[in-house]
Amino acid sequence: MNFDQWLLVFILLSSFVTGLVIFFLKEEAHRLRTLANLFGALLKVILVGVMIAGVQANHVYESRLELLPGLDLVLHADAMSVLFATLSSVLWLVTTLYAVGYLEDEPHRSRFFGFFSICVSATTGVALAGNLITFLIFYEILTLSTYPLVVHRGTEKSLQAGRTYLIYTLSGGALLLLATVWLHTLAGPLEFSLGGTLAQVATQHRAELIAIFALLIAGLGVKAALFPLHGWLPQAMVAPAPVSALLHAVAVVKAGAFGIVRVVYDLYGVRTAEDLGVLAPLAGVAAFTIIYGSVRALFQDDLKRRLAFSTVSQVSYIALGTALFGYLSTIGGLTHLVHQGIMKITLFFCAGIFAHTLGVHKVSEMAGLGLRMPWSMTAFTIAALGMIGVPPFAGFISKWYIGLGAVSSGSYWAVAVLAASSALNAAYFLPILHAAWFRKRQDPWPADHAHGAGEGHWMLLAPPLATAALVVAAGVLANAPFSPLEWVRFIAEMEYGK
Amino acid sequence: MNFPDFNAVLLLSTISLPLLLAAGMARRGWRSCLVRLAPWAALPALIVVFAVPQGAAASFSWLFLGSHLGFDQTGYIFLLFTSTLWLLSGLFAQTYLADDTKRSRFFAFYLLAMAGNFGLILAQDLVTFYAYFSLMSFSSYGLVIHNGENESLRAGRIYLCLVVLGELMLFAAMVTMATNANSLLLHDAIAKPMSDVTLALLLLGFGIKAGALPLHVWLPLAHPAAPVPASAVLSGAMIKAGLLGWIRFLPLGLEAFPQWGALVMGAGLAAAFFSVLVGVTQTNPKTVLAYSSISQMGLITIAVGVVLMMPSLWPLVLPAILIYALHHALAKGALFLGVGVASHAATQAQRLWLFVGMLVPALALIGAPFTSGAIAKTALKADFTSLPTPWAGLLQFALPLAAVGTTLLMARFLWLLWSKPAAHGHSRSVLWIAWALLLVAVALISWILPIANSSGQDALKFDKIWAGLWPFAIGILVAWVALVRSGREGGIDYIRIPAGDWLAVLAWAAPYAARMGRALASDTLTVFWKTTTASLFQALRRLDSGQSWSGREDCLRNWSVAGMALLCISVILYLLTSAS
Repeated sequence: MNFDQWLLVFILLSSFVTGLVIFFLKEEAHRLRTLANLFGALLKVILVGVMIAGVQANHVYESRLELLPGLDLVLHADAMSVLFATLSSVLWLVTTLYAVGYLEDEPHRSRFFGFFSICVSATTGVALAGNLITFLIFYEILTLSTYPLVVHRGTEKSLQAGRTYLIYTLSGGALLLLATVWLHTLAGPLEFSLGGTLAQVATQHRAELIAIFALLIAGLGVKAALFPLHGWLPQAMVAPAPVSALLHAVAVVKAGAFGIVRVVYDLYGVRTAEDLGVLAPLAGVAAFTIIYGSVRALFQDDLKRRLAFSTVSQVSYIALGTALFGYLSTIGGLTHLVHQGIMKITLFFCAGIFAHTLGVHKVSEMAGLGLRMPWSMTAFTIAALGMIGVPPFAGFISKWYIGLGAVSSGSYWAVAVLAASSALNAAYFLPILHAAWFRKRQDPWPADHAHGAGEGHWMLLAPPLATAALVVAAGVLANAPFSPLEWVRFIAEMEYGK
Repeated sequence: MNFPDFNAVLLLSTISLPLLLAAGMARRGWRSCLVRLAPWAALPALIVVFAVPQGAAASFSWLFLGSHLGFDQTGYIFLLFTSTLWLLSGLFAQTYLADDTKRSRFFAFYLLAMAGNFGLILAQDLVTFYAYFSLMSFSSYGLVIHNGENESLRAGRIYLCLVVLGELMLFAAMVTMATNANSLLLHDAIAKPMSDVTLALLLLGFGIKAGALPLHVWLPLAHPAAPVPASAVLSGAMIKAGLLGWIRFLPLGLEAFPQWGALVMGAGLAAAFFSVLVGVTQTNPKTVLAYSSISQMGLITIAVGVVLMMPSLWPLVLPAILIYALHHALAKGALFLGVGVASHAATQAQRLWLFVGMLVPALALIGAPFTSGAIAKTALKADFTSLPTPWAGLLQFALPLAAVGTTLLMARFLWLLWSKPAAHGHSRSVLWIAWALLLVAVALISWILPIANSSGQDALKFDKIWAGLWPFAIGILVAWVALVRSGREGGIDYIRIPAGDWLAVLAWAAPYAARMGRALASDTLTVFWKTTTASLFQALRRLDSGQSWSGREDCLRNWSVAGMALLCISVILYLLTSAS
């Protein structure tokens, strides 16, 4: 049994099998379930660590399964898939811990964690997919496995949100399928490879490739919340906080953004895409979404909805970095994939703590929160300042590189978009920080479960503190070895070096 | 293993010590001890000034995107007055805020801003400068809104808006500079030709911090709102960060920008005189001091404009700017601390001593003979003679007038301070000692520094003494006349210009703009979207529910029809596949 061939399958199975096992656990067996969860998460992180070490040592990890003659299911570990796989497995570990603490005493936990684990398997599958058809398969599994998480609470609002979610994502999936099939008929089974492989095809079938690109972006753009396909995201906020955290930082939205990155860099190749002239419209849509999301966020009072629109805006930074042709903006976009993930997950963890422990759902109720819950609020402050782009936090590093890339490619308008977006971010985050730290609370909290003292369970508090520490480290130590920035620079060198 | 470079450790410790102390404030038990230690966090910086040779550098490749710290002549002067101010104001604040329940919070922000201030003085690359500049700007917010009153909150809000605006402008400028130079080091970045847009962004971005017109409106609101020791460092040390930004980021001495130079000089002149006109109408002594800061920074702005117009003058103008910044920082700090002492001066004797002491920085600011101000003004004036006309003549005329203006501002300030009711409570000696030390610094430092030697000797010449004396005399005369003519009220109290001048116009228009923006962004778009999608779904539903469709489908369900259709399709497919 060749270990190189099976490692990737094991990585997928580590969470898939965990999910299946949890389905069969009884509702009351919470200790066993927690054990299974954490074991699966830790195992996955360890296996991903082995994969990173192997890729550094130039091992080639690949697993193939023939679906049809000429059509393979391929799992392949290259630099970009390792980046995304690491992000999702590490963040899955902290989210699992958080979810165990959050959903204590709630019904249907086995069902929840079962689908939770399958969702992360699907995300890892998306990360490790070696060709478009594999990507598509795992992308659709992701859609189906997140639906039960969105409608977990079972209320009318949740069901409505789930319905909207399915309508959007299944339509997107259909477009993605259409594009995949069309591309397959044009160019045969294409595997993702650095620099793309469509250069030859592009000389003969220009118009068709442009149309396929548009379909791909439309299909991926649903999950990546590009305007006007973002409508499901704010509605999906009725899901419990761990689900929102997962959706926004780890799984769904990132999968869409990752898909766009894959399509531009590893399917079409950035030079081919630039020749076809498809990057400019993508940049335009991304820029519009950035501003649109931030403006909508400004007028939301519900904290999670505000964060949802903030996600709509921030994920388009990744699309913008990808669409601006240049080594530096590539670095910016990919770095933002990682940095936005850790910042957003911190924000959602904290929002969940505020809702769970104190019943605070609205921004207008957040006065005096800093005094009551200093640790959570510190994590929130760090992540919020990172979102605004204040140095030395993680968000600044990725914005800096996108800015550098914008100037070096002559797209000065992108710098203006970045500046405007930072200003809007400041406008909707700074008042929250001011109210929490500098205003005194007049009325009692809406629903104080911690009875006036303490910040709640350690399982709720440890994850945001850990991810906030990562936000600081990713920014302050950005130039140190093993930082996300270093890894991304390595990827970009290989992409453009070709 | 190499021994760590001692200079590098010292340079880093100027920033890391205040940061560590600030982080320690998180633990409740440590707070009172940390508050006692807080002012001494400025000590490493003071040690650097005296012990580290100019030209020392330290690089940390793992920090930010590669961090470079360095200590040159500019850094030497800046660090000298900055560390002195932070130290003495910190000692002052410990006693001044002794009864304040939020004292630890004040000192936490104080330490963070201190770290940022020292960091940006030592920074030699773009990202490091920007990081410490942001740290200082955002931490000062906590100082501005310290007393929690509505006016302070409003001042803080306006301050923060302008901070964010400045940060974004600087971000855009720096990103352009870094790309053009392909390096993050400052001296690489300014060696490349600079576009007009970048220059404008830098002038405005740092101009916000330096209190340059027209984006100075936060200064008269924020400096009075903060507690007195914080105002001293805000007005003394922190606005000089904007000046340092200009010195480090602008291609001064390298590239000529005649039109920009003229514009900047004009802005400086406008600041010097406009702020006098607004400042004398104020009723809060701290607001008068804030407008005085704007006026003095206006004079420095003129010097920057001079160099933009004629880069060859840079080697002469830079020392002049440094001397002026040093003198103004210490004098303004002493004035602000004096306001704090005044609120604790109970007896008549103490008030008399206070008044006498206040004359030292006040006269220095005016540029009266034998003061540090005289040296600074002499140094500044020496450079303006080689300017093209009409600038040389204009500045010869304008600078003494600016001194008259400063005299009027100081007279107004001293009058307001004197007419405040006597303080309650007992005064504490620490306040007096810290203030007295600063007064000594104001009086002596400029005479001691080697960089000011030539200007110092120049200032002792008779014509320079006369040049410093007559504007002062005229100013005193005008102030006396105004006092006598207006009776007991003394002054121009019937004219009320709100602090923040043109901001008042904006404040009037703001509610209308907000209403429009809200309608545009949230209501209209959402309503439009909902109606469109609703009508779309309605159309789809209507399509589905018609009787005609189910009738047609029934027809298709007939086996014979289906079979016929299947046969036809198979024939067509066969023909198609066999034809290829």
